[in-house]
Amino acid sequence: MDILFISKYLVVIALIILMLAALRAGAYKSTSMGLLASSVIINAFAVVLLIGGDIYNLGFYRDISLALIFFGFVGTVVFAVVLGGDDK
Amino acid sequence: MIEYVQSALLIISAFLIIISAVGVLSLSKGTKNVVYARIHIFGVFDIACIIAMIAIGQYLLAGIYFILAPFTAHAIANAYWKKEDRENNLDLVTDEEVVDDNPFIQSKEKMQALESENSEKLKADERFSVTMLEIDEGE
Repeated sequence: MDILFISKYLVVIALIILMLAALRAGAYKSTSMGLLASSVIINAFAVVLLIGGDIYNLGFYRDISLALIFFGFVGTVVFAVVLGGDDK
Repeated sequence: MIEYVQSALLIISAFLIIISAVGVLSLSKGTKNVVYARIHIFGVFDIACIIAMIAIGQYLLAGIYFILAPFTAHAIANAYWKKEDRENNLDLVTDEEVVDDNPFIQSKEKMQALESENSEKLKADERFSVTMLEIDEGE
């Protein structure tokens, strides 16, 4: 096993730990914290997919992670605008 | 040689991700401005993801993520400030939450009631009233 393979798995493990931490932080009472946690989990999952696709040579994982990053951003911003309301 | 550089970047990103996870969990609920602090900590995670994407050769995705991540953080912080931040935004503070000991913090409803009360007093004050005399020229 070369060091590159091990380091990819290290990043995946770290991302899984961060997803669990974000899930714990998202249980805070405010809606914004849940929004932040969901955004972080989506981005972490996109990076996990990207690294998984790189390990197993699967091309379409990159497309899925691109869609997750882009539409995750759009959904987060739209929800934040709806939550914040209009400017006075 | 390139493999070692890629491995170093991935290990650095894993280290940053672990640091951000520990930082998020170490903040207690009683901490002041905890949501802003967590948004700040997740900024470290964003940069770690960008480093990981560069390490595995996805430069376009890294660039897109580098541009989009600050917009997300700002949108969430702005929404929290407008509707849920009762520590810093006085517009959201109601009468029940205002501490009477502090004379500098008053609720918005109370101040508006005081202002309308003063304006009614000023209207009733005779010093500001204007009388109109009717002059009959025929007499």
